[in-house]
Formats: sequence, C-alpha cells, structure tokens
Amino acid sequence: MIHTKILSGVTFLYFAAFVFYLFRMVLGREFWGKWATVTALGGLAAQSIALVVRWKTSYDLGFGHAPLSNFYESLIFFAWTIVLLYLLMERRLKNRSIGVFVLPVAFLIMAYASIAPGMNQRIEPLIPALQSNWLTSHVLTCFMGYAAFTVAFALGILYFFKTAAGPRPGVFVRLMPSEFHIDELIYSCAVLGFIFLTLGIVTGSVWAHYAWGSYWSWDPKETWSLITWLIYAVMLHTRLVRGWRGRRMAVMAMVGFGCMLFTYLGVNLLPSLHSYMS
Amino acid sequence: MTPKKSGIWSFFASVQLALVLLSLIAFFALVGTLVPQREEAVAFAERIPPALFSFLQKMQIFDLYHSAWFILLSGLLAVNLIICSLDRFPPAWRRFRMRHEPKNEDIFRDVAEEDTLLADTDVRTAADAALSLLRRKYHAVERADEASSAWLCAQKGRFSLFGVYIVHVSILALIAGAVVGSVFGVEGFVHIPEGETVESFSLRSGGQPLPLPFAVRCDRFTVEFYEGGMPRTFQSDLTFLKNGRAVRSAKLLVNHPVEFEGFRFYQASYGAAPGGKATLALMREGGRRDVMNVAEGYVFDLPGREGTFQVLRVEENLMKMGPAVKVAVTSRRGQEAVFWVFQQIESIKKMSPDIFEQVPLFNPGLFRPYTFSLLGLEEKYYTGLQVNRDPGTPVVAVSALGLIGGLMLILFSYARAVWIRISPSGDQVLLSIAGRSYKNQPGLQKEMRYLLAELKNRLEKRR
Ligand code: HEM
Repeated sequence: MIHTKILSGVTFLYFAAFVFYLFRMVLGREFWGKWATVTALGGLAAQSIALVVRWKTSYDLGFGHAPLSNFYESLIFFAWTIVLLYLLMERRLKNRSIGVFVLPVAFLIMAYASIAPGMNQRIEPLIPALQSNWLTSHVLTCFMGYAAFTVAFALGILYFFKTAAGPRPGVFVRLMPSEFHIDELIYSCAVLGFIFLTLGIVTGSVWAHYAWGSYWSWDPKETWSLITWLIYAVMLHTRLVRGWRGRRMAVMAMVGFGCMLFTYLGVNLLPSLHSYMS
Repeated sequence: MTPKKSGIWSFFASVQLALVLLSLIAFFALVGTLVPQREEAVAFAERIPPALFSFLQKMQIFDLYHSAWFILLSGLLAVNLIICSLDRFPPAWRRFRMRHEPKNEDIFRDVAEEDTLLADTDVRTAADAALSLLRRKYHAVERADEASSAWLCAQKGRFSLFGVYIVHVSILALIAGAVVGSVFGVEGFVHIPEGETVESFSLRSGGQPLPLPFAVRCDRFTVEFYEGGMPRTFQSDLTFLKNGRAVRSAKLLVNHPVEFEGFRFYQASYGAAPGGKATLALMREGGRRDVMNVAEGYVFDLPGREGTFQVLRVEENLMKMGPAVKVAVTSRRGQEAVFWVFQQIESIKKMSPDIFEQVPLFNPGLFRPYTFSLLGLEEKYYTGLQVNRDPGTPVVAVSALGLIGGLMLILFSYARAVWIRISPSGDQVLLSIAGRSYKNQPGLQKEMRYLLAELKNRLEKRR
C-alpha cells in the first residue's frame, strides 16, 4: 500500500535529518543544520500526506476512521507530533541544537513501527467500543502531551551536555542556547505537555464514561497516566513555589518522561483494557 | 504573621506538604498497579505464605484504591488545598484589586538602555501616540500629564490571577465528586433475554439484586458484522415501563448509553439465550402446507383439528446432527406422540436409511397424516446491560471543565502592568518603558520590546 511505502521513506528521511544534525554538532557548521531542517520538514510533509492517504483509504474500505486506532497508528502519530513540535520550536528559537536529540527518537519510533515483529500495520475496522469521537480526541491530545514531554526530555539531555562541558567548550556547546534558556524551554514544554495530558485524561474519562459506564476504573493505564500527571504537577510546583531551576528541572523532565514512556509502552506488560497489543 | 497562623495552620498551608502528598499518592497508585488488586488477588494468595497474605490484606494492600490509606491521603490533600488557598487568597485578591498610578518614579529607577527610545517629536504627540497604542492592546489605560512630561500606565490579564485558584478548587470538587460517587453511586448489571422484562439488577459488589423503580423490556437485540467477521454494532431496542405502561422506547448502542430516571444503561455484552425460535412447516398428506414460527412452550391446533401440538425444546445442534425441534402432538382422543424434527433430515436419512425404524423418536411423520419439517432456527439473544447510578458524575464533569479552564487561563494570559514615561531630552523626546508582572518576566520583556518598536514605527510615520 502506498502509505506504508511513504512511511518507510519518512523513516529514512528522519534518519538523514538526524545525521545532518549530527554533522552540525561535530563540525559546528550551520550549513548542515539547514540541510537537517529541510530534511526533517520534508519528512514531516511526506508523513502528513501518508496519514491523510491512510485516513482516506480507511473510508474507501467502507469503515472510515482517523488513523489513531491501533498501536502501529499511534506510533506513527507520536513520531509525527514530536517532529512537528520540534520544528515549531526550532523556528521560534532560531536554534538547531536540540534536533540531534529529538530526531533520533522520532526515527527510532518510526523504525520500530515498521520492523517490530507482530506489528499489525493493516487498516482494520473498529469494534463498537472504539467507535467514538471522544476516543479520537483522547488519542490526539495524549500524544500531543507525550510529544511535549519528549521534547522536554531532549532538552533535559541538552542541559546536561551544556553543563558537563568544561570552561572551554567545543563548537557544539557554544551553538546551544544558554542554560537559562534551556531551563525556560523545559518548563514551557512541561506546562504544554501537562495541559495536553490533562485534556487527554479528561477526554479519555469521558470516553470511558460513555463506553464502559464509569469514568475512572483504576485500570493500569489510567493509573499510570495519573502517576505521570502527578509527577509533572510536582515538577510545576517545585519550580513555581520552591524555585527549583536548571539541573533539578532537567532531572524532573527525565523522570516524567520515564513515567510517560511506561504509561505508553510498559503498561502493556500489565493486564489492561487499553492494551493495543492484544 | 497574624495570630491565626498557628502551627497546624502553617503545616497545612505549606506547599512542601502538597509535594509530599502528591508524591505519596503517585507512589501508592504505582504499588496498586504492581500488586494484584481485588479479584486478581485470589490467585496471588496461593503463591505467598498465608500469614503474609492475611497481613497484607489487613493493610488493605489488595484494594489500595479504596483503602483507608488512599482516603486518608486524599483527605489530607483536600485539607492542604483548602488551607493553602485560604492562606494565599487575600494577597492575590489585593493584587487583583490594585490600581496602579500612572506616575511611578520607582519603576523607572534603573531603566535599561534598550527600554528607551529617542524621538524627534514633542511630548504631547508622543503621549497621544503611546495612548492610542496602549488603548488597542490593554483594557485599563491611564494617563497623567505634567508640565513637561507625561506618564501612562496600562494593565492587563488580572483575571489570570484566579487561574491557580480555579485549578485548585476544581481538584477539590473532583475529589468531592468522586467521594459522592463512591458513597451514593451504585454499579450493577442485568441480562435481559429478547422479549422479556426485568425490574431489578444485580450489584457488582454482590448481595441482593436491587429493585428498579420501573421495568425494562428488551424488544430486540441485533448484532451486525463487518465483512471480515468483526462486530460492527451491537444494539438493544429497549422499552421502559412504569406501572405496566410503556413510557419510553430507546435504542441502546455501545458508546451511546441511555438514561432513565437517574439510572444509566450501557450496552456491555450479549449472548445466546436458551430457547430460540424456529420455523416449522407442516404437511398434511395430499393436502395443504402450513408454515409457522414457534418457540419453546408454544401450543398450536393442528390445521385439520385432529388435535394440538406443543414445542418442547429448540436445539441448535442435537447429537451433532444439526438443528432440531422436539414436539409433542396430542390427538383429541388423548394419544400422544413425541418426536424430534431435524432440519438436515435428508442427509441423516442418506447416512442411515432405516433410521426411522430404529429410532421412531426421530421420525417427523410419526403422527399421521402429518409430516413436520424444520425450515430453520432463529437465534434468540439476551442483552447484557451495565446499570449505573452516579450522582457524583455531574460534579466531576464540571470540575474537569474548571480544571481545564483554569489551566488555560494560566497558560494563555498573565497579569501585568506597563508604564511609559515621556520626557523632553534636549530638542528630542525620551520615551522609557517599564513593566511589572507577578510571573512571566520573559514574556513581559518581549512585550515591552514590541511596544517600543511599534511606538517608534508610529512616531516615524507621523512625521
Ligand atoms: C493534583 C493536584 C494539583 C494540581 C494539578 C495543581 C496545579 C497547579 C498549577 C498548574 C499551578 C501553576 C499555577 C501557575 O502557573 O500560576 C499550581 C500552583 C500552585 N499550587 Fe497547585 N496544584 C495541585 C495541588 C496543590 C496543593 C495540594 C497545594 C497546596 C498547598 C498547591 C499549591 C499551589 C501553590 C501555592 C501554587 C503557586 C501559586 C502561585 O504561583 O502563586 N497545589 N498548582
């Protein structure tokens, strides 16, 4: 199918973008950075087209639904939101240093989606419980949140690179935003992610309310999303009220990301209503 | 410190406590996903020493989310939120009410170079330009003219000061709604075979079935499939009755619950109900052929009035020989013949041609002069409904909206005030800008840069 072909191309483009960001980092020349941005942008455009094609194909098959319904589609969408958010940030920031940490994440997700054994890539009709606009909004908002947390995580790594560099740092470190800026960005991403995660949990509860008759049932995925939410709530409070900055924020961004990743993937090891794997 | 702030008060007003409580709740929630909960704990019990199990059970480890621990932590969090909000609200209210004077010498004490602008114009023109610019962006703009200089002050985003309180009050209401739900709510289920009526439902927590203040009938249950065989829709056609009179009909689908008198019904499951329907054909030797729809228990007159027949059983697959219906025919003289009518009678006869002699019970022509044949079975379903009543749901829904609204308020706006001072400087005019924001200093800086650039633009255009 055409969209799977495009998506393998996109995987390759994200890898190429990562390599270009790496060249920029090692050689310290903005020339490579420009190529990296263009490549990532091309990948994002192609991926958007693939998503639309996949969406349309599902309608041609007679059971149209947004391409957000199984594990494979969620991975593809996750990679898409990460790259989108990153490129928006790069544009606003006019700095390309974070790309070398974000693009490999997007690449790995895409690669995993296309080669993992047992990954179901087919477009399938939805069973009645999944036929809900609330569910679509739920997946959409959750992955926006996840993408913001992923970028915050990448920024956290960047922060450590920046502080670990000695008094005479290499080109790459000099090209980075200042520590103050990285800290501000981590916070902005965490707030953005927190709002989207809140929306995601609320829309998910509304869906559960309509589909299962209970807005909250302590299913492991729900519980882990609550844990993630609480971790980020703690992070916001430590910053606003206790004045935590810098290294501590970077650590919190990493802990939160770990929780988020477990909510998304790890929970499938536990029995759950949500498990995409089944 | 006012005398009101005793030790207990400041303990509960502290954000450190909030951090500890949020972390503890997260930790307990985590433990609950690792240790088997409720029903699953039974299997777990066999793998650990009984003494340990009963100890853990006493500690309510196997129902953590409804345990005293969890209730205690939520209660403490609620108290913490209330006291903390009460403690901090008065200053926030003062900040909200504060009106700044346009003339403010303090704020211009150390103005940075980039926050000033020299323009070839006079004070009055510059002040007018600044006023019209500020008016376009801010709600409350004030101006004070002095002999040689002019001062302006503009404020915006005061309501965002309440964002935090809206968020925190929403969380309180959320906890309250959840408590109301768990105390006053009920959760149960009921199975209704097609065509039948129920007036009570079973509780998930066990015990006596709970009577409903009305009756529910399932008129029909339908399931549709996609081509590949996956289910596409489940639908129950329900009728609600009060005092035996139908008052409402509703189609119940997955994701589209139906509410009646405070109870919500959800399509949860379905299954084959015992005793399906069958279509029988009746041949009278050399005569007419009648087709009729029957179900278990039905009694009919034979077309020629020789007697009656009754449907005793409807079987989907009798002795691996396919669908069959057991009938009893009683003649007017009281003679009775009981036999099975198979749908696939032709293939059965081919396999063992003298089956009727060996097993008269399988002969559909046992009662002369009639021959029965089974044209087909129609399955009868039951629908499985989840039944809930949760008076806390509206509270939870409103709190969730408040939570999101409050967060939006915090994210998309912030309280700030900016001042512009205009004074003569040689034959030019010096414009300086300064601002104050309770948070988001970087955002304010950006906004001040923008205002100054815009002002410069306007003054240059005017000349
Ligand atoms: C799950 C629970 C909670 C959530 C989701 C939450 C959410 C928030 C958010 C989003 C902010 C940021 C406000 C801003 O940016 O201005 C905030 C600030 C704050 N929260 Fe909470 N909060 C929670 C619990 C608590 C508790 C229990 C306390 C009790 C002391 C508390 C005290 C505060 C304080 C003092 C601030 C700072 C307000 C300010 O900037 O003036 N929060 N909270």
